[in-house]
Amino acid sequence: MQNKRKKKEMIIQLIIKISTLIAVLLLSSITIFIVKNGYKKINLDYFTSDYNDKTVYVDVENNHTSEHYDISETDDIFIDEWGVGISKLNDDSNYYISYLAKNSIFENGVDLKNEPFKIKVGDIIKKIDKVNIADLKNKDIENMFRDNNLELKITRNGGGIYPMLISTLMLIFLSLIITIPIGVGAAIYLVEYAKIGKLVNIIRFATESLAGIPSIVYGLFGMILFVKFLGIGQSILSGSLTLSIILLPTVIRTTEETLITVPSSYKEASYALGANRLQTLVKIIIPNTISGIIIAVILSIGRIVGESAALLFTVGTFAKIPQNIFDSGTSLTVRAFMEVKEYAAVESACAMGIVLLAIVFILNISTKIIVKKLKL
Amino acid sequence: MNAKNNILSIDNLDFYYGDFKALDKINMNIESNSVTAFIGPSGCGKSTLLRTINRMNELIDNTRLDGKIKFDNKNAYLDYEVIELRKRIGMVFQKPNPFPMSIYDNIVYGIKLHYKKSKNELDEIVERSLRGAALWDEVKDRLKKNALELSGGQQQRLCIARAIAIEPEVILMDEPTSALDPIATAKIEELIIRLKEKYTIVIVTHSMHQAARISDYTGFFLTGKLIEFDKTENLFSNPKNNKTEDYITGRFG
Repeated sequence: MQNKRKKKEMIIQLIIKISTLIAVLLLSSITIFIVKNGYKKINLDYFTSDYNDKTVYVDVENNHTSEHYDISETDDIFIDEWGVGISKLNDDSNYYISYLAKNSIFENGVDLKNEPFKIKVGDIIKKIDKVNIADLKNKDIENMFRDNNLELKITRNGGGIYPMLISTLMLIFLSLIITIPIGVGAAIYLVEYAKIGKLVNIIRFATESLAGIPSIVYGLFGMILFVKFLGIGQSILSGSLTLSIILLPTVIRTTEETLITVPSSYKEASYALGANRLQTLVKIIIPNTISGIIIAVILSIGRIVGESAALLFTVGTFAKIPQNIFDSGTSLTVRAFMEVKEYAAVESACAMGIVLLAIVFILNISTKIIVKKLKL
Repeated sequence: MNAKNNILSIDNLDFYYGDFKALDKINMNIESNSVTAFIGPSGCGKSTLLRTINRMNELIDNTRLDGKIKFDNKNAYLDYEVIELRKRIGMVFQKPNPFPMSIYDNIVYGIKLHYKKSKNELDEIVERSLRGAALWDEVKDRLKKNALELSGGQQQRLCIARAIAIEPEVILMDEPTSALDPIATAKIEELIIRLKEKYTIVIVTHSMHQAARISDYTGFFLTGKLIEFDKTENLFSNPKNNKTEDYITGRFG
């Protein structure tokens, strides 16, 4: 009898251990796959440069005030009056900016719209004064730089995620600004004000059901309501409103749970000192709910960063920096999806995946730290 | 008993939780600057009665009250705003319940609800209240520390200090020492006797000894009825009702 029980226990333990192993292996292999495929693209430029290549005509002017720049000797051509070094690209006949001295005149360029354009190291020069640079020799280039005024055709390579980071940040801020006050307010109403009864149960049931709906349904709803019916168009605002609907149940739930844990003895003490409901709410209940609200915020950020289906139709898929909340953009997750869908660019998608993984990782750790700090 | 000295008078009070009658025709007068103790077994209605005095019962849904409570010769339920009433009738609870904020902020919480005071005035009130609750010497160097770091007995004295900071006329105490050890209990009892110089104290207690030690008047409650109410020494030495005698001699309860 004793033996049989031991055997049974061992088998159950084995099954549990194998299940855990499979789960861990799966998760780690996904992580390894993403990191292995994407890590080559990740560097500082990846975060700061535009997604699309950009070509501009830039005017630079030198009034030869005999300023002398630090000299660089590793470039193919170095023009000390301009403080700029130019080298040939390895794989084609174009030249790129390989060195810029401090305060080089090239930093004060002006584009065709007369707006300042700061030339950076790495920018490719296609033409100088309408002449293809590929047709010129090093000597010719040096000669052209004797002029006081140059018009350069410059191409800046894209491939970065800067526009997506900006769009994602805008989505996060706007969604939180919409969701947190409404969600916290609703939770306070449900816990502190509403009488327990049918209505509250219906509201609770509705919010819980909302949490289970697939996000593509929200995406379609958002497209019909915000993008089409209200005429906001594909924009950060439409996306944030759609996200807000998705986030509300979580925010309400999390806040409710912390509200319930505020001891009733605090409330009693406050009332007994002659506080009214609002004073008790503002001075006692809300300060004790801050930890829950912070957790709701972090969970929401995680959800926003990870959401793709709801944003596909509401924010857009084109990688550009939104000028304001009514402008379209695209989030990192949506773009990662589009990379694979449009170009089968697995490397690019994986690189974005690494960034997403890192964000989620940081969010999880910060949640743990905050929970620990506030609850103990 | 001179009617002028009765700060509280309870007149034919019935109280219901839903259909359950928790208090049945209670009549009693409470004298100013005295300590009145309510004793009785669990569920006898003594805490319920205490809470009807400062209308804390109104926080509970589905309750009903008939009869009258007069405070300072005016109807506590009709002639007072509940905030005004609770300002003048303070309360200390069974479990010490300081707010999770600094000792200083706990004391000034009530003041800030009702008055605009300068920093100096607040400092004075904090010192006066803490001295009044015999806590000043223990905490004067750590007023900015979180109140939850204090011991249970200190927390309860802080709650008393918090209650007297707004200078009520009556302090209701709902078994204030039941969560405390004997030494902390002794300190609170000493404090209660001292506090009656300035305030009227109504205390619910499980301990007959405590009632005997600190109170001037004692009411004995059983199943929602006030069985006997008298000067403490009379009630304990010469109870008129058999049930009172059974209870105080330990035959039930």
